[in-house]
Amino acid sequence: MSESVINVSELTRRFGAKTALASVSLSMPRGAVYGLVGANGAGKTTLIKHVLGLLRAESGSVRVFGLDPVADPVSVLSRIGYLSEENDLPGWMRVNELIRYSRSFYPAWDDVYAEELRQTFALDPTTKIRNLSRGQKARAGLLIALAYRPELLVLDEPSSGLDPIVRRDILGAIIRTIANEGRTVLFSSHLLEEVEQVADHVTMISRGRIALSAPLDVIKESHRCVTVRFPEPRLRPPAVAGVLRWEGQDQEWTAVARGGSGELEAAIVGWKARIVAERFASLDEVFVAHAGEAAAPAEDV
Amino acid sequence: MRSPAAAIAWEFRRRHRWGLIAFACYLLVLATSKLLLLERGQSVTFDDEQSFAFAVVVPVGTTFMYFLAVFTFGFAGDLAGRRSIYPARMFTLPVTSGALAGWPMLYGTSAMAVLWLATRFLAVWPSGLDAPWIWPALLAAAILAWTQAMAWMPYALPGLRVIITVLLLTSIDVVAFLAIYYEASEPVMVALLAPHVPLAYFAARFAVASARRGDAPDWLQIFAWLGRITDLLPRRRDHFPSPARAQAWFEWRRHGRSLPALVCILLPFELSLLFLFRDTPVLVAEILIAVLFTPPFMAIFVAATVSRSSPDGSDSHELTPFIAARPLTSASLIAAKLKATIRSTLASWLLVLVAIPLALRLSGTSSVGVDGARRLIEIAGTPRAVAIGLLSLVALVLCTWKQLVQSLYIGMSGRAWLVKGSVFVTLSLLTLSVPLVPWVIRNGREAIATLWNALPWILAVLVCIKISAAAWVAIRLHDIRLLSDRTLVIGALCWDAAVLALYGLLVWLLPTMIFPSYLLALVAILAIPLVRISAAPLALSWNRHR
Repeated sequence: MSESVINVSELTRRFGAKTALASVSLSMPRGAVYGLVGANGAGKTTLIKHVLGLLRAESGSVRVFGLDPVADPVSVLSRIGYLSEENDLPGWMRVNELIRYSRSFYPAWDDVYAEELRQTFALDPTTKIRNLSRGQKARAGLLIALAYRPELLVLDEPSSGLDPIVRRDILGAIIRTIANEGRTVLFSSHLLEEVEQVADHVTMISRGRIALSAPLDVIKESHRCVTVRFPEPRLRPPAVAGVLRWEGQDQEWTAVARGGSGELEAAIVGWKARIVAERFASLDEVFVAHAGEAAAPAEDV
Repeated sequence: MRSPAAAIAWEFRRRHRWGLIAFACYLLVLATSKLLLLERGQSVTFDDEQSFAFAVVVPVGTTFMYFLAVFTFGFAGDLAGRRSIYPARMFTLPVTSGALAGWPMLYGTSAMAVLWLATRFLAVWPSGLDAPWIWPALLAAAILAWTQAMAWMPYALPGLRVIITVLLLTSIDVVAFLAIYYEASEPVMVALLAPHVPLAYFAARFAVASARRGDAPDWLQIFAWLGRITDLLPRRRDHFPSPARAQAWFEWRRHGRSLPALVCILLPFELSLLFLFRDTPVLVAEILIAVLFTPPFMAIFVAATVSRSSPDGSDSHELTPFIAARPLTSASLIAAKLKATIRSTLASWLLVLVAIPLALRLSGTSSVGVDGARRLIEIAGTPRAVAIGLLSLVALVLCTWKQLVQSLYIGMSGRAWLVKGSVFVTLSLLTLSVPLVPWVIRNGREAIATLWNALPWILAVLVCIKISAAAWVAIRLHDIRLLSDRTLVIGALCWDAAVLALYGLLVWLLPTMIFPSYLLALVAILAIPLVRISAAPLALSWNRHR
């Protein structure tokens, strides 16, 4: 787990006046399943495009397998399996033509595995891509991304807009990829329950910045949801260090808090309030707390 | 915007504002020229047809085509496909199919009418030509309305839209031309053309309603067995020996067959004229020349799709992630395109070279070709005549290929502003520069002699620009490691060899008393493509790694 597959350092990217990525740094270890989460337009696809070399780093650097993907696209791309959110497979190709065409680019293409995947995904080889359903197109894209057992599998919003069965296929593919000699997966999604199922490291991007990046277990263990009942109804919750977000009304408010509970518990005693419920925060709640607008702005201390 | 009509109008205006502004500027120029001429009290004697054609007919013709594309939603649709090119996103708007068809048709036909009426009113017309006011506007509106109806109709087979539209528009034109030929009066012309727009509206409404409910017949299944037979061929099941071959196959399947297909469609029409005019040798010769120029001429239109980096029918000019993420260098992606275009050119010329002798023999006009060859041999001698014939053929083949690839460096850049800007600059230059030719001819020997004396300097400046540009491109290709040193050196040597070979041929063929050898050397340097083709990988790299 020591060797990094992807190394991004101080990466900044602007599109006109909009800053898509601001000083993003991350290092992705080999064999990990890396979940990239963020709201729409947060910068996930921009980051993935930099990893693939489809965008040039304006400032900072991107290294994949220790190489610059812009300067050496062949060496980098031949080791990456990529499933695009846009699903832009050429509609005029038949499924068997797509397989025949794609296999020529990857020396490690495994015909037996490709056929196994084709049968698992129930893809008719003579059907044109344009006549496939959205889910079938995603499966065809997944087939050509997996059939050469790439060292790095990059999935950009792979299951957005797809039915649960196709989503299950995609998650299954990720799990199989991990099982296959510990390959590395980078996948972006805003379906957090999916990320929770397979990722062992999560990076949250918000407005082009990394809001949080840590192993999933650490994230879940370090965030708590505490529901507090105040003696009097309140319009705004009080501000406390470590509380990322308050949500509620009148007397009952729920806080998503980071770190130890000492400060919050001490504050609760001070307010003469009491804790109604306490549990670990879900990834969804952590994400909203880090990336979303505050549901209720806290009072100044 | 308080109504669907206003919203649809706003979309046309907002999306095509630059084209509409250019059109308004052109009308302003026409109006200013006319005002200046009338203010000076000059009599308008615009007798030069070519100048008139390029000052008025070319811009108006271009605008006409532009309006056709704008109001049929043709910029974003696949004309050869089966599906309606009416934007599917508009089918969910809470308006009737009649409104969806009617408002764009009303705006389009109005724009066409304004185009003609403004040209009629503002342009300086040749003296003695009394252009009609109403019926040309109606003709333009009818052509647009029927094009919209045909473009929005879903079809049973791919390509059927193009065939039906061409046949329908040709029939409208033929009726109009017959009426002109028999000197029909303006009211008769109006009576002939006026019913077209409401008829086209009903057809368009039916088309939009059919497309909206997904009601399109599919005859492709009838031909599906053909695909299954070809799948059984061993070649179809073979693996590609290399990524480069796979990419060349991809490019061939994507664009390579367009030019041979177009040539194949046109050749029977052109060569059938040989049967009609078999007794007039001059016309036979002219038909043969037209046939020989068909591939390079059609290549101009095919080049627009070859040089697109995005899928056909897409609004974007960016490279798709599917291609951008191929583990190939940008130079290899361009090489695949070049190979496909070479194959496309050769296939087209093979068709021409097989069809011409066949048609000459069947129509009994072989003697015209034989006589022409005999006369050339008498004038130039056998070796030179053979060389001239071969050189002409090679030049035509190269010209076809050059037409296909010379705009790659613009299209591959994936920048909409560059693509649209280059079209605008080309059309503007054409409009401005072509009237210069008749002006030079009119101003007699002095102007021609001045130009002839300046020609070596003009050519020398062009050569300097070409070599400087080539050096810059080579340095960039080397710096960003798109091509290896070995490839760059081999490319440069091949280009040198081609220039030397052409120079040697020109020196051998042309009298050096009239054409000095340095002039021929400059021509040879300028004739062999270098900069634009070698800039294509740079443009693609710029597009691929944004």
